[in-house]
Amino acid sequence: MVGLSHYLILGSLLFAISVVGIFLNRKNVIILLMAIELMLLAVNLNFIAFSHYLNDIAGQVFVFFILTVAAAESAIGLAILVVLFRNLRTINVDDLDSLKG
Amino acid sequence: MTFFGLHFQDIVFYTLATILLIAGLRVITTRNPVYAALYLVLAFFTAAGIWLLLEAEFLAIALVLVYVGAVMVLFLFVVMMLDINLDKLREGFWKALPIALPVGGLMAVEMVMIVGARNFGADVVPAPAAHPADYSNTAELGRVLYTDYLLPFELASVVLLVAIVAAIALTLRDRKDSKSMDPAKQVLVKKADRLRIVKMEAEVEKNDVVDTSAQADDKGAK
Amino acid sequence: MENIRYDLITALPEIILLGMAMLVLITDLFLKQSNRIAIYGLSQLGLLLAAYFTVTTHVPSVGYAFTGAFVDDAMSDVLKLMIYVGTSLIFVYTRQYIQLRNMFRGEFYALVLFSVVGMMIMVSGQSMLTLYVGLELLSLSLYALVALDRDNHFATEAAMKYFVLGALASGMLLYGMSMIYGMTGSLNISDINHVLMNGSGIHAVLVLGLVFIVAGLAFKLGAVPFQMWVPDVYEGSPTAVTMLISSVPKLAAFAFVIRLLAQSLQTMAIDWQQMLLIMAVLSIVLGNVTAIAQTNLKRMLAYSTISHVGFVLLGLMSASGNGYISALFYIASYVVMTLAGFGIILLLSRKGFEAQNLSDLKGLNQRSPWVAFLMLIVMFSMAGIPPTLGFYAKFAVLQAALQAGFLWVVVFAVLMAVIGAFYYLRVIKLMYFDEPEDNSPITAPFDMRVILSMNALALLAIGIMPQGLMTICFYAISRSLS
Repeated sequence: MVGLSHYLILGSLLFAISVVGIFLNRKNVIILLMAIELMLLAVNLNFIAFSHYLNDIAGQVFVFFILTVAAAESAIGLAILVVLFRNLRTINVDDLDSLKG
Repeated sequence: MTFFGLHFQDIVFYTLATILLIAGLRVITTRNPVYAALYLVLAFFTAAGIWLLLEAEFLAIALVLVYVGAVMVLFLFVVMMLDINLDKLREGFWKALPIALPVGGLMAVEMVMIVGARNFGADVVPAPAAHPADYSNTAELGRVLYTDYLLPFELASVVLLVAIVAAIALTLRDRKDSKSMDPAKQVLVKKADRLRIVKMEAEVEKNDVVDTSAQADDKGAK
Repeated sequence: MENIRYDLITALPEIILLGMAMLVLITDLFLKQSNRIAIYGLSQLGLLLAAYFTVTTHVPSVGYAFTGAFVDDAMSDVLKLMIYVGTSLIFVYTRQYIQLRNMFRGEFYALVLFSVVGMMIMVSGQSMLTLYVGLELLSLSLYALVALDRDNHFATEAAMKYFVLGALASGMLLYGMSMIYGMTGSLNISDINHVLMNGSGIHAVLVLGLVFIVAGLAFKLGAVPFQMWVPDVYEGSPTAVTMLISSVPKLAAFAFVIRLLAQSLQTMAIDWQQMLLIMAVLSIVLGNVTAIAQTNLKRMLAYSTISHVGFVLLGLMSASGNGYISALFYIASYVVMTLAGFGIILLLSRKGFEAQNLSDLKGLNQRSPWVAFLMLIVMFSMAGIPPTLGFYAKFAVLQAALQAGFLWVVVFAVLMAVIGAFYYLRVIKLMYFDEPEDNSPITAPFDMRVILSMNALALLAIGIMPQGLMTICFYAISRSLS
């Protein structure tokens, strides 16, 4: 029988995958943005699972707002990406080394 | 209904979870950003299926419509619009792998141990009673959204406005090579703006006739 | 109906600023470039009106609005007033700078005002959901502001780094929040506290949530080990935006930490105290030591910010009333210092020239003794040399940590502050004992000169008489935290 733990484990695995993805693709901004989407998906799964098992709608409301904010966030992220690409003619972070950090 | 000791819901969960994890892994390991975006779409679809298992019908549909339908399409647009050098993107991928895998693995193991069956197993947290047949998840969500969560709801609209303003301010620019016309300016043009009447002496056959015409040409050109 | 009335009156300052931000956006469309100055006036007016209504609706008790999602207490009102004043100063200091760099557009002012609304929501949020939305409103506005000078590739690069790390931090914060929600079944700050007070919840799961929340907060605050974005973003952003990022949002972040850690997770103080302690010590060490090696003024100030954040965390870490008061005092002083510091950098910049290297300060005393004197006060204050404000702020924080029983940490922090004083004093040496490399005159509007002077002199004045600010901080914390 599938219980709450199954959903939470799925969420944590998805979260770990996205963290690894951020580590691996530091040079590829687009994949970075997608890894962040994946991370938010993991969080959303957690909230919905808790909401279901607590029988409390608040978790779903939170997910509703995370979806909204994440949509706005990706719009701004992609806009910055486009501007950056126009300026640098590349989206390879390897070339983003004018700022040493 | 059970198959080999598994409930039908369990089979659905395990199938979807497997696809979701594989899709997630492919998103971060695939070479081509277009494939990554498509795997992300697959991940969102399966996640929506899992949300349906959790009786979050409205959010599952919203995820497909808003995320797959709008956000991922935006991603694909940008990926295809930009001219990406695929070989360069992979540099550093293998170099980071020996660090990333143990860190990620350790993190996953620790998190799984904490959220595992000992704390949240089916026997510890019982499944909630099923909702009656006429229960509407959407109506329930809508009822609290416009009452208890009025403030965040209004703020979310401001967040979206900021996104609109930012996206336009960052990317909209007038093309310098554009040949388009402004009708308002065309209508407002007066005769005096375009045409200048130059007083000229009538041409008479004299010796200095070449000089005067040259002067008149100069004036006209200005 | 009565409820809605109360809700709207409580949130009146936010509503006014939002309305003003939209008015700025629309007015901007109908203005010619020569009349654009009107949007500057409108933005300042908005802040003034918001301040007026914050003061007039102030009551010393705690009031909840919007079904408990929003709180109006002394701390929120005090912090909001500080945010208005800080933002108003930013508008004054940056006006000429952005005019000369083609950034004097309605979007700049509207986005700053939106970010101020985000900060106010963070200050007044009483549920994890409200806090999150407020944080995102602030962050998204800041990402866009960094990239607003879109032909400047340093700025867009900084914006991308800021964005990716900021989004990562939000993800971690949310994961932590989901764990807390799962354990307590509530998003409301006071409800979470009540549930945890009754001793329910599995400790390991709560700690997992707490770790992610603290990591997310540390990212946003720029504390070690999550500080890597700070120097790059400070250096790459247009100085006007760097000034914004480094100053007022820290006030909002302070409130955010207080709401999440001190109010909702109060029962877990022992756990988060250790995390904050480690981060505080690391931040103070790394900030002070790395700053010595910097040749770029903005990077140096970035590392200086990291060490100041370390001191604030030291105050919060004490987890006592005195600790919170001293942390609030420190963060308020930090904002005053940073505004003055970046104000002087903006003063030295001119069309086509960014004053951002330490060498640009060489021989400042010969170019303008008064500006050099103001910078002297700012540097003394950042280094924590008496009788400036910075000294008293450090003193208060260390005293609180001492009371909480962290003697060795205090000794260590004092030692690091002494090392840190070196790079501030180096700036003073450059200004007074080196020959100027460029002798172009310093031009600035009259109002900016006057207000900047007052701002820097305030560091001295409040440093000599800190009781006023201390009383305000005491009032804010003691009336809000039981």
